Amino acid sequence: MSAELYPLEQWIWLAPLFPLIAASWIAIGYIVGWNRNEAGERETSRVTIAASLLSLLSMLVIDLKALLSGVETQVVTAHWLTSGDFQINFSFTLDRLGLVMGTMVATITLFTQRFSINYLHREAGYQRFFMLLSLFNTAMLLIVLAGNPGLLFVGWELAGISSYLLIAYNYQRQVATKNATYALVTNRLGDAGLLTAIFFSTLWAGSIEWPDLHQAAGPMGGLHLGLIGTAFLLAAFVKSAQVPFSPWITRALEGPTPSSAIFYGSVMVHAGVYLVIRLQPLLEQSAPLSILLIVVGGATALYGYLSGLVQTDVKSALIFSTLTQVGLMFIACGAGWYDLATLYLLLHASWRSWQFLHAPSYMHQMHQPTRLVAPWIHPFNRLYAAAMQRFWLDPMSLWLLVRPTQRLSRDIHIFDTNVVRPIIGTTNEINVISSLEAWEKQSCEIQSSSTGVAPGSGFFGVILQWVANLFVWIEEHLILKGGGEGLIEVIKRAGITITQVEQQLSMPRYLLLMIMATFVVIL
Amino acid sequence: MPLLTLLLLTPIIGAGWILVQRGKPQRQRYAALFFSGLTLLIALYILLQFNHDSSALQFFESVVWNARMGTSYAVGVDGISLPMVLLAALLVFVAILASTAIQERAQSYYALILFLESAMIGVFIAQDWALFYVFWELTLIPLFFLIDRWGGQRRSMAALNFVLYTMGGSVFILISLLVLFDAMPDHSFSMVAMAETARTLPPSTQLFLFLGFLVGFGVKMPIFPLHGWLPLAHVEAPAPISILLSGILLKMGAYGLIRAASILPNAIAELQPLLMGLALFGLIYGGLLAWRQSDLKAMVAYSSVSHMGVVLFGISTMNIAGLTGALFQMVAHGLVAGALFLLIGLLYQRTHTRNINDYRSLIDHAPRFTLFTTIALFSAIGIPGTAGFIAEFHAIVGGFERWGWITVLLSLGVMISASYAIRTISVLFTGPSSSRMAQVADLSRGESSAAALLALLILWLGFFPASALQMMDRSIEGVVPATSVLISISEVGSK
Repeated sequence: MSAELYPLEQWIWLAPLFPLIAASWIAIGYIVGWNRNEAGERETSRVTIAASLLSLLSMLVIDLKALLSGVETQVVTAHWLTSGDFQINFSFTLDRLGLVMGTMVATITLFTQRFSINYLHREAGYQRFFMLLSLFNTAMLLIVLAGNPGLLFVGWELAGISSYLLIAYNYQRQVATKNATYALVTNRLGDAGLLTAIFFSTLWAGSIEWPDLHQAAGPMGGLHLGLIGTAFLLAAFVKSAQVPFSPWITRALEGPTPSSAIFYGSVMVHAGVYLVIRLQPLLEQSAPLSILLIVVGGATALYGYLSGLVQTDVKSALIFSTLTQVGLMFIACGAGWYDLATLYLLLHASWRSWQFLHAPSYMHQMHQPTRLVAPWIHPFNRLYAAAMQRFWLDPMSLWLLVRPTQRLSRDIHIFDTNVVRPIIGTTNEINVISSLEAWEKQSCEIQSSSTGVAPGSGFFGVILQWVANLFVWIEEHLILKGGGEGLIEVIKRAGITITQVEQQLSMPRYLLLMIMATFVVIL
Repeated sequence: MPLLTLLLLTPIIGAGWILVQRGKPQRQRYAALFFSGLTLLIALYILLQFNHDSSALQFFESVVWNARMGTSYAVGVDGISLPMVLLAALLVFVAILASTAIQERAQSYYALILFLESAMIGVFIAQDWALFYVFWELTLIPLFFLIDRWGGQRRSMAALNFVLYTMGGSVFILISLLVLFDAMPDHSFSMVAMAETARTLPPSTQLFLFLGFLVGFGVKMPIFPLHGWLPLAHVEAPAPISILLSGILLKMGAYGLIRAASILPNAIAELQPLLMGLALFGLIYGGLLAWRQSDLKAMVAYSSVSHMGVVLFGISTMNIAGLTGALFQMVAHGLVAGALFLLIGLLYQRTHTRNINDYRSLIDHAPRFTLFTTIALFSAIGIPGTAGFIAEFHAIVGGFERWGWITVLLSLGVMISASYAIRTISVLFTGPSSSRMAQVADLSRGESSAAALLALLILWLGFFPASALQMMDRSIEGVVPATSVLISISEVGSK
């Protein structure tokens, strides 16, 4: 009975939770200091592996139940936030796609983590690396299991952040941090798309649970469907590094090899494909979206193929061939072969992760020189040049997006320094006195200036200073001198005058005069 | 047990005890600490026994004093006076803790402080206007001597100035009281009876009476053009006395004004705009002058003018939120000003300069001093999590209810206070370290505990204001409805 009330699949939230706990445990341990240095490596890796193993086991148990007796496909664990009619749940979609993907992610992550134990031995940042891998595990499990795009977005961002931190794993190197920033910024474009898609879905579909969204897609108008679909596809294209967003993924190879394998070779790069497959009922409604998928996928496949031909290092060659395959998956989706795409995804992810992990030792196992660039490309000089330059996608983004932004921010900065700051009265130099000498100089200036402690700067500062000067004048002349002190002065003077009168009166002649005056009054 | 009489008598007994003893200043200080601590304990006991759900007077005692004059010894507390009594008992205790620098004539010094404590508590618990007036004037005597004998260079001028101003103001209170007394059929000074009579008086008489109270209490509070005594007295008084002046004496004015407002509803209805104008002007005026001071003590003194402007603004709204803000600001400012004068006094003892430009980077050598000063200054600005925030928040809510957008000027005043508070923090504590500051010793254990007591209360009232608000609520409701009902009647009548 209790099993009926609280079936096994309700525990699915444990799967992403285990790695999250592991990541927190490692982070706290590192802050407190119990797992630092080489001595802490063993504990770190054990915690990571144990968490991944547990989450894989929980996936497998639910898989087993799904095979034997079937599971409820939409599981709502809790309400996350409610505002009016709008609601986001902690819900999970446990259909075939979700379960298969979840199991695949858990398995590949576990193997990669096992591989990393030896690969990263005695590296500085060992603990950091494992923490990030655990975080990534959580992120990917959230993406593939989430029951709505809201929860998926959590995983989506977490994956982006852990990817950013892993690319900048060697943060002492400028190239690494630069590439990490590049990847993060490009990914934000996709995040914007995903957020827009969530917004439109809430607006036009009401509920954003996947099944509700799929159902709402049927009666939805072409324009609405197109907008939601395009926004979702933007997110998918960026995450899967499709043309024209491809350059970030080549820069992302800066991180350690196991992370490259898991992120860009096998798991994260497929997140976009997963999103597209998940949206199958929605995308099938609209022919233009399918065409878009085919066009972008085709362009990427060509781009990956041609650029891959001219690469001279293993990792780059692998990543371009990955791009080609992912492009083909998008074409499959566009053509309506979603099951094929799913199968393709699973096989490619498994194969590619093996290949990437293998890459560092590839050279040792090679017994003949690498194959030269394919001979058929020789007559096409321009194509060759374009492939060498990776079709100028990088300079194009620089020219179209980065430069104008830089110019705009420079103009705003000039406006800020010349117009806004003088009015508000803050300066760039505020509080940046670095030497004792400068300090002494400034203190002397303050003491010598007439305004003393309260120099006003800026438009309002000057007004305030002016008003304050007026108030100081009023205070000194009218209230202090004219009030209490003035009163005391008056009393003193009056006292002196009265004493003088008194002295005069006590003289005999005035006394006589007084007596006489009294008599006059009486009479 | 007549708890309130005990509360009044304990400091007096302490003063007497100290006067008959012979010994070192240290011993006198311990005796004074003991008696003020005892007073504080009695006050806390009263707090425990206090019924928060009643608006009635509690612990009421009444003995006929002079039947022909209609005066009686009547004391009692409600939710408005109890916070003030607690504040007074606490700050006197802190002031005595901070009096380590007093070495000459310590005997009379401590006796006078305890005497002053008794008089101040008397003002807050008196339930008979004659008794109130007696206590009101009694506070002047010890204060005059305390400033005149232990003060700074211009101490005699300051003491004289202070007494003259306050006496001048008291005359107006006395006139108002006598006119009111004269109008009463059964000639009595009892606050309850006088309140009943006052409400029946014609509006013009009420207005006249209230103006008298306004001048008298306005000097003490102080309200803008009547604050001439304050900067001098605060700067010249010894640090512990500055704590009491700013922490409690100013509150006596505001307390009296609230009482006067509650018995003269028609007059306050007429004068609300005037009070609001004076409050906002004083708020900005005091703030700007504080901004311009290089003397730390003068800065805190002028900031008191500014902060009491918030109190007056709260009173001018005459609604529950506004009055709660006023009362809470009285408590908050008592704690903040007490803490600031305490800390600046301790700093002055070490360096003998109060010029802000002589200091820098104190955090290197006096971290505890830095911590407590920063908490107090943050509360003065009204940073959330401090008592000042709760007070300003209520005052602003009440202000918007009654006055609308002009309340923005209150925010301007808060911004000005932020500018000088942050300036003080940055000059005193930051900057490149200096060897000259190395001689500044950090707070000792006793000094730290006094400052920590105030700082913790500031934070406690900021994070958990509910119990204090609950204590004030009933009594404030008692002040407000009577007024607002009468306002609505007068509005109907005028139509």
